[in-house]
Amino acid sequence: MGIELKCFATLAKFLPENWDDYPVEPGETIRSLIRRLGMPEESVTLMFVNSVRVDLDAEIKEGDRVGLFPPVGGG
Amino acid sequence: MSALADDIRALSRSITLPWGEEGDILSLDHVLDLSRRHGVSGRIVEIKALRLGIRPLRYLRNQQSLSPEDQARLLESAVAMVGLGGLGGTLLEVLLRAGAGIIRCADGDRFEESNLNRQTLSTPAGLGRSKTDMARERAEALNPSVDFEAENAYLTSRSLPDFLSGCRVAVDALGGLSHRLELQRAAAGAGIPMVTGALAGFSGYVGVVLPGDTGPADIMGRDNAAEESLGCPSPSVTCIAALMAAEIIRLSIGHPSPLAGKMLVADLQAMSFETVAIA
Repeated sequence: MGIELKCFATLAKFLPENWDDYPVEPGETIRSLIRRLGMPEESVTLMFVNSVRVDLDAEIKEGDRVGLFPPVGGG
Repeated sequence: MSALADDIRALSRSITLPWGEEGDILSLDHVLDLSRRHGVSGRIVEIKALRLGIRPLRYLRNQQSLSPEDQARLLESAVAMVGLGGLGGTLLEVLLRAGAGIIRCADGDRFEESNLNRQTLSTPAGLGRSKTDMARERAEALNPSVDFEAENAYLTSRSLPDFLSGCRVAVDALGGLSHRLELQRAAAGAGIPMVTGALAGFSGYVGVVLPGDTGPADIMGRDNAAEESLGCPSPSVTCIAALMAAEIIRLSIGHPSPLAGKMLVADLQAMSFETVAIA
């Protein structure tokens, strides 16, 4: 079992096909995940794991629900 | 008993309410008539009626979702909203219909053709006109009981404190990220909660920021926002505005918001909604 991944707005184009069961490695962090997905690090401004905001160094493990959100300000 | 109360009683009539009880109502024409005769805002007539147990017919379908006392408190409450574009236009429409008693708005912009895809107050005939003028016309046409104030200006950290003064809720309906943090700080300075929202493409968020808490503006930065490439389609704007409106009404009445210290993150492509703790 991997993680469930959500990528919003301009990050949606990086969403892998296996987003609902994306494999993670031991010691995986948000930072390493973003790198693996090919996203520029500065393009992710809000990261959350299991509905709680975290920082780039937060560790993620199998079964987590991870969300990645870029700067959004349209009205 | 005051003359206004006597007149309200005399003009009310009893009907069978939608949920089966008998109840007294007051029609729109009578609210307008009493407002003129007594020299008070329509909302004052409506508040008085509600406290007498008489329901203004125009708000009847708010009840029993808003109790008569909730409705009266909403009519007593003042909302300060910055921005009359996509979010602000739809919010104005919803707040006028709901019966938000005092609505203070600010925007220094004029309508242009590229607003027409989403901005409720924009029309082909209104292109080039100021957003505050169009908002004032809409407010008068839709709910003349509401006390409506509009400032045709872009507010700054210097002018925001006066603008927020006396209001119960601040609303961030700005476009772009550059001025949102100033408004969040001004709302904190005024000691009132702020309801904020933004979107790009099919994604968006809504937040309620209590004074001193971390808000979306602290997280999102000030530039390079995704809407510059993805734009602002109407379903996303309207959805985010509707979620904001629910919290503005709740806070105006004086109820706590379940979104305080959180962001509701929505995506209309995946049809996913998630509430994230950020404070």
